[in-house]
Amino acid sequence: MASRLEEVGRSGLNATLAWSEAALLAEAARADAMATPGPLHGVPLAVKDNIVTTEQPTTCGSRILEGYRSPYNATVIERLRAAGAMVACKSNLDEFAMGSSTEHSAYGRVQHPLDPERVPGGSSGGSAALVAAGVVPAGLGSETGGSVRQPASFCGIVGVKPTYGRVSRYGLVAFGSSLDCVSVFGRTVADAASVLTVMAGLDSRDATTVDRPALGPVTAPASLQGMTIGLPSEYFPADLDPGVKAGCDTAIARMRDLGARVVKVSLPHSGLAVPTYYVIAPAEAAANLARYDGARYGPRFEQDRASRADRGGDLRALYRTTRGKGFGPEVRRRILVGTYVLSAGYYDAYYGRAQAARARIGSDFTRAFGSGIDLLFTPTTPTPAFKAGEKTGDPVAMYLADIFVCPASLAGLPAMSIPVGRTEGLPVGGQLIAAPFEEAKMLATAALLERQLEPEAEVR
Amino acid sequence: MSWETVIGLEVHVQLATRSKMFCACSTGFGAPPNTNVCPVCLGLPGALPVPNREAVRLAVRAAHALGGRVAERSIFARKNYFYPDLPKGYQISQYDAPLSIGGGIGVDTPDRGTVEVSIERLHVEEDAGKSLHDRIPGKTAVDLNRAGVPLAEIVSGPDLRSPAEARAYLVAIKQLLIYAGVSECSMEQGSLRVDANISIRRGGDTGFGTKTEIKNLNSFANVERALEAERIRQEGMVDRGERVAQVTLLFNAATGQVRPMRSKEESHDYRYFPDPDLPPLLLSPEWIEQIRGELPELPAAKRARLVSAYGLTGYDAAVLASERPIADYFEAAARAGAPAKSAANWILGEVMTGYNARGGFAVAPADLADLISLVERGTVSLQAAKKVFGEMAASGGAPAEVAERLGLIQVRDEAALEQWAEAVLAAHPGEVARYRAGEAKLLGFLTGQVMKRSQGKADPKGVQAVLQRKLTT
Amino acid sequence: MSVTAKDVEHVARLAELAVEPGELPELTAQMDRIVGFVAQLGADRADEADEAVVERYVPGPEATPLREDVVRPADLAFPPAAIAPEFVEGFFVVPKLGPMEES
Repeated sequence: MASRLEEVGRSGLNATLAWSEAALLAEAARADAMATPGPLHGVPLAVKDNIVTTEQPTTCGSRILEGYRSPYNATVIERLRAAGAMVACKSNLDEFAMGSSTEHSAYGRVQHPLDPERVPGGSSGGSAALVAAGVVPAGLGSETGGSVRQPASFCGIVGVKPTYGRVSRYGLVAFGSSLDCVSVFGRTVADAASVLTVMAGLDSRDATTVDRPALGPVTAPASLQGMTIGLPSEYFPADLDPGVKAGCDTAIARMRDLGARVVKVSLPHSGLAVPTYYVIAPAEAAANLARYDGARYGPRFEQDRASRADRGGDLRALYRTTRGKGFGPEVRRRILVGTYVLSAGYYDAYYGRAQAARARIGSDFTRAFGSGIDLLFTPTTPTPAFKAGEKTGDPVAMYLADIFVCPASLAGLPAMSIPVGRTEGLPVGGQLIAAPFEEAKMLATAALLERQLEPEAEVR
Repeated sequence: MSWETVIGLEVHVQLATRSKMFCACSTGFGAPPNTNVCPVCLGLPGALPVPNREAVRLAVRAAHALGGRVAERSIFARKNYFYPDLPKGYQISQYDAPLSIGGGIGVDTPDRGTVEVSIERLHVEEDAGKSLHDRIPGKTAVDLNRAGVPLAEIVSGPDLRSPAEARAYLVAIKQLLIYAGVSECSMEQGSLRVDANISIRRGGDTGFGTKTEIKNLNSFANVERALEAERIRQEGMVDRGERVAQVTLLFNAATGQVRPMRSKEESHDYRYFPDPDLPPLLLSPEWIEQIRGELPELPAAKRARLVSAYGLTGYDAAVLASERPIADYFEAAARAGAPAKSAANWILGEVMTGYNARGGFAVAPADLADLISLVERGTVSLQAAKKVFGEMAASGGAPAEVAERLGLIQVRDEAALEQWAEAVLAAHPGEVARYRAGEAKLLGFLTGQVMKRSQGKADPKGVQAVLQRKLTT
Repeated sequence: MSVTAKDVEHVARLAELAVEPGELPELTAQMDRIVGFVAQLGADRADEADEAVVERYVPGPEATPLREDVVRPADLAFPPAAIAPEFVEGFFVVPKLGPMEES
């Protein structure tokens, strides 16, 4: 394991943050010392660096948490360790999970494993790249608006976001609390599902977890007889990338072959999803990131010039300088936008309307699943992995990379991306979206479909 | 120009729980700094809040005590501002959907009699930590032991008309909440804090002037002093033709002056929004009613009942009802057979003096009832009974035994009284002659002489009867 | 609705975020682009009628669970002193606030 991590460290992928051989040995010893081997005995996992662990620093890809070590472990880490899994490394990410390309890390951008000039997607790009590169069989990411499905699609692996409330957020550093979900990457559906099964369940430390029967092991059915798959027309626009469309068409054909009934549906408010997301997530983030002020933990930053703050004395200066310098440009933009939309006089126009739009997006899905649709199938992203620097100049262009993944996040639904083929050498992902807590149905369907697809073959 | 003062108070009381509002840290007072802390109340990355059932229960109880309408659905909201003792950069509070709306409390005011002061709302929230500005030279020291302690904030309507009324309102609120077992309401330990809003207007106006807010007042006396200082300041400004600006003020107890802290427009955009970490707080109607049922009799009802059931005066009833243990003591004494008026007199005198000095009762209510009955039966004099009470408080013992031991039992034996009377009459022939000649007041002198001869043990009534009989035959 | 440099400075102050004068024009332009983008929600007036009946939509449980009132000391791998940038005699230490703000 250590040699693989060293190798990947030298490769320039820049996917790992903290790891050490000593910590790895300790993890292995811990797993071996267990009286009965757990279901994930000895399985090494890449852990996105916004999930807290006591052994390694948790930086969130930010200067403002440089060297920060959490005095407690996330619930998911405790559960995975109890099942015998090992934290192989912390992985790189867009700062505080804000981004769609893993270019916004204070510790440098992550490269796409197949093409160094391209991005692996984001924000969980580090874990995605490590799984895609074969360093680890599975990894943890987090989703706020598609940050696992989108990089899974770009990197050609499986990425699963559970229902909001299925997996504890305790110890996941908050970005948009009403959206955040610990999510998982795997080389295969089964790998991802086995990790998700261990993590899932009610947590008394997270008031937003839901008491539901445990997820059982995933077994692929013999066919998709009796299943109805809905294709939302809003997700197949005329200008969809032809390679992406071809990949999705292949998957749709396989599902038909497997006996599924495939029908067209409409989710009319889908177009509201990205703007809605970019009100709600920044608003929540602005509050969630207020705690990083240099007072209690993390580094403090000095002012360049000996200019005293305009008011409030030295402490206000510490706050402003630490936050001004500690956060990168994308995080600062979102904090400012989030503060703006909540500020006096604007709340109703932005946050109020976004809540209403979120409700409409949710009811679109409720109607679709209520009409006999078992699962929705869509492309995961409008294009394959784009080039580094291509979208950094225009934040809104970057945001639109998440246009197909945002709606399920807003609605809190389980959704996943599976590789359906390649176009011009780059992976294409197809997305399955299920009704709340229907992960088992979604994963079983994906497990069967996965066998019928050739993810490394060019699609036509 | 005659001005009317308009005051509304925001009272923050600590709910008497063992653990904090959103985490399992202790709420204990006086622990070394930053020892009752955990990831949640330190605001560490990744930590999440889970509300305390007991805090909610106590807040509902407070709402019932104030006659509020308890909401079956209320929402936790984030109040965003930066301050060194606010670890998350926001306080979890409630905003547009509070736990309870409406209600009121009767307040005995110095000038307007009993006034019903309206309550606008009651909500639950977490406390901040403590910033110490003079602990370390040139720095601010922060202790987060208090961060996350559960509070109820009670907002009154703008119904108070003087600083003295504000103080009377606080006395009433404190009495009510202690009665209801909601809070200890100790200003010394920070479990009751007050922010005051004050404005002035022309007498007879119904609109409101621009209000200022005075923060963190640390005693009832200082609330009154600060409001008085601010009332004078505002009146002076308006009299000089200046406008009152909406500011937050701090009171300096040493100088008795208020000074501006920050202007509203500068820092008061709190950007409230529903806390996404906490789903709605849903309370079943059954639970709400069950909590109402747990409420003890409250001061106003108790006062009324003491008057109607025991025939006490309003004054006696108010003093007895000022604290639940005192009222309970009174009723226990009454149940043990003490006549209400005597029991009240004893409690307002001897018993309260001892209670206030030692913070508890030294004599059981049944023993007090027995002592009163000794007086009523003439076994001991009232004077002697007070000595007996003092001895019972100091060393214990039943009243009759103590009276016996101290030799304070009154002698009513006819023969003994006659013997003392004869000796006195023999010793004072002049007075006897004058009495018989019509100087009736000399009976008192002669009675006193008998009492003296008996060393205070003779029953004065019996002595008088014997003397009269002997002097008229 | 467009975002001005003054708006950016105002929200930066609320968010306690230093913005250097040199960054202000670009930041204002980006904020204006983003706010303009999300403002399309306001343009969605067709559904305005049902605005009032739309409840706040948040996934997860319908009601918050409540914890029992039990004290459990925190299980911290290391104490606050180990993570604090400045910690003296048990206190977190920060620079002083301005005299206008101390309470």
